[in-house]
Amino acid sequence: MEYKVEAHRIMSISLGKIYNSRVQRGGIKLHKNLLVSLVLRSARQVYLSDYYSGACLNAAQSEREWDITDTEREKFPPSTTECDRVESSEEPQKNERPEKEREYRENDDEVKSDQADCTSTLQQEQNQNSSQDSVAKVSSETLQETINEPKESPSDSALAELDSTPEANGESHQPPKTHVCSNRKRSAEESESGDSPQKKTKVASSNAKEGEEAEEMDTSNVSNLITIFGSSFSGLLSKDGAKPESEAEDSGQICCDQMLKNLNPWSTAIVAF
Amino acid sequence: SEHACAGFYQNKKTFFSFFFILVCDPADVISTVEFNQTGEFLATGDKGGRVVIFQREPQSHRHFIGEYNVYSTFQSHEPEFDYLKSLEIEERINKIRWLPLHNPAHFLLATNDKTIKLWKVSERDKRAEGYNLRDEEGRLKDLSTVTTLQVPVLRPMDLLVEASPRRVFANAHAYHINSISVNSDCETYLSADDLRINLWNLNITDRSFNIVDLKPENMEDLSEVITVAEFHPHHCHLLAFSSSTGTTRLCDMRASALCDQHAKLFEEAADPSHRSFFSEIVSSVSDVKFSHSGRYLLTRDYLTVKVWDLNMENKPVETYQVHDYLRTKLCSLYESDCIFDKFECAWNGTDSVIMTGAYNNYFRMFDRASLRDVTLEASREVCKRRAVLQPRRVCVGKKQKETDVSVDSLDFRKKILHTAWHPKENIIAIAASNNLYIFQDRLTPNGHHNTPEIQSAPPKWQTQPNPPTY
Repeated sequence: MEYKVEAHRIMSISLGKIYNSRVQRGGIKLHKNLLVSLVLRSARQVYLSDYYSGACLNAAQSEREWDITDTEREKFPPSTTECDRVESSEEPQKNERPEKEREYRENDDEVKSDQADCTSTLQQEQNQNSSQDSVAKVSSETLQETINEPKESPSDSALAELDSTPEANGESHQPPKTHVCSNRKRSAEESESGDSPQKKTKVASSNAKEGEEAEEMDTSNVSNLITIFGSSFSGLLSKDGAKPESEAEDSGQICCDQMLKNLNPWSTAIVAF
Repeated sequence: SEHACAGFYQNKKTFFSFFFILVCDPADVISTVEFNQTGEFLATGDKGGRVVIFQREPQSHRHFIGEYNVYSTFQSHEPEFDYLKSLEIEERINKIRWLPLHNPAHFLLATNDKTIKLWKVSERDKRAEGYNLRDEEGRLKDLSTVTTLQVPVLRPMDLLVEASPRRVFANAHAYHINSISVNSDCETYLSADDLRINLWNLNITDRSFNIVDLKPENMEDLSEVITVAEFHPHHCHLLAFSSSTGTTRLCDMRASALCDQHAKLFEEAADPSHRSFFSEIVSSVSDVKFSHSGRYLLTRDYLTVKVWDLNMENKPVETYQVHDYLRTKLCSLYESDCIFDKFECAWNGTDSVIMTGAYNNYFRMFDRASLRDVTLEASREVCKRRAVLQPRRVCVGKKQKETDVSVDSLDFRKKILHTAWHPKENIIAIAASNNLYIFQDRLTPNGHHNTPEIQSAPPKWQTQPNPPTY
């Protein structure tokens, strides 16, 4: 649907802005990056949702508060969901992921030696880290959620899985057409109100700091994002270090697409940056 | 003794009487404009860290208005590098605020992203001559030649305007400073960054008190930043600060040391029909100004300017659309980063007219009593000497008049972010990129737009006859 294309475009633009902000003079502008991350989140909500309506967006707004009620939590225990998702992911994706992670870890060492702030912790009060934290965290959150869906298999058989994991009713990049049609069918069947709360919980729980699975993947996510937002983007593209700024736009774009496709979806807070 | 004194030797008798600006030098983009409390001086700060002060000449019979001419120029801030964080600190002057002191010298606060400086600007028109130990060039005399003692005498000299940094308030802000505001007690002032507001004593540079702290324990939970903060003009215990979420808070410093709990929260419910991806961005408040009376607050967000009564928190008493035709263009404005532009707003001296900038070098004025508004343009092509500004109109769709400008032909690179209104008279200063325009209302130069009877026609704004160079 058009709005999904638009939402995806806005997400790419937003990611590009976040990337570019790192090479801007004067350091990261917290205000601008916060606003960009809010747009990114809104676009993601629309991108994932079946419904392009004001009500839906409003629901997404309140979702941002991650307000989980106990009853909903009972219905959808986070750990089991996560397990389901991991197990249900397709073969090719599984193969892709470890490769990427390996790549990231290699680059991680490079990046860590380059930048002192990569090794800082949550508790550190250094503002550069803080502002990077906020940028990274907010954008990583949305990134994780963004790439949740693209990672899901587009095949029809996955639809059955999607029914049980409602948050993954988004689509992937590969065969958008078939998937969109499938979504439409689903949306006709399911009620609006029933869907959103489930999604709400799912997304919220995916961000909850619980579940061993999430913790295991934290380090790889952290290193992924360090690589992505770090000055050396070599994990994602072969970058000519001599001309970072001229390539900033292209890099931003390529980086966005790659990130959207390949990032490990699970992450909680970005601790170190 | 003065040290590190930056001076600009200028003969005040020679005026720069041609309309300036030739090349747009990025370092010279004006980043702040501020009249002092009497309106005699106008200070501008630019992206290159320079401060230029203009002084108004006394009115002569030849011109019905006094002209503003360059009084002093000095380099306030230099680019710095924070080695610990590998961060470059821009020298751009974010804000200038004059101190309301009644000394022969003038004092102003100028701030960049990290450091606030108090500058003293003073005149020297006499020089001591006839020293015993040094000659006129300052060289030490050969003491064997000194046979008599003399008392140095003061002799007149050509006026010298000196600017010297009297205080440097540094290392108190982890985030980028966006505002400074001098308290009505004239002893303290506040500085605000994205997450914190600090209270300073003007005489103490090594300590400041944190009075507002929005930093969450976990930066992941960050949901809003401070955009502007200002002290109440009369009540030294009240301050207002606005946020990126579109709210403005009034805080009472008497309530507690840390004013995280607001005394009042000014917020209008968002219009659900206007929801879009960019709703948050356009609701972010880019400027807050107390009225001179202290009764009202003026807030500017991307598309509107609102007047709030301090006694009513749930909605503004007046809302003015600055450029509502942009509402359908938010996506492309987001792409071009224009949506992040921070427009300022201003009250006139009697709080009857408000002014704010827009794109295409347009600026807007709203008369609160008559509800009339006007769009005017500040550009070299239009502003000839003594020319009366003609109102502009932006049209969405077909042009109704020849002079109409269509939305699609607006130049979004030409933005008027910084405007200032003389505290007493109808003189305004408009910064457009690296150009400074000064206009005066021809019909009522010293009067007020108080009641509709006085104004039978919209104000006729006129460029001053001898515009200053920058």
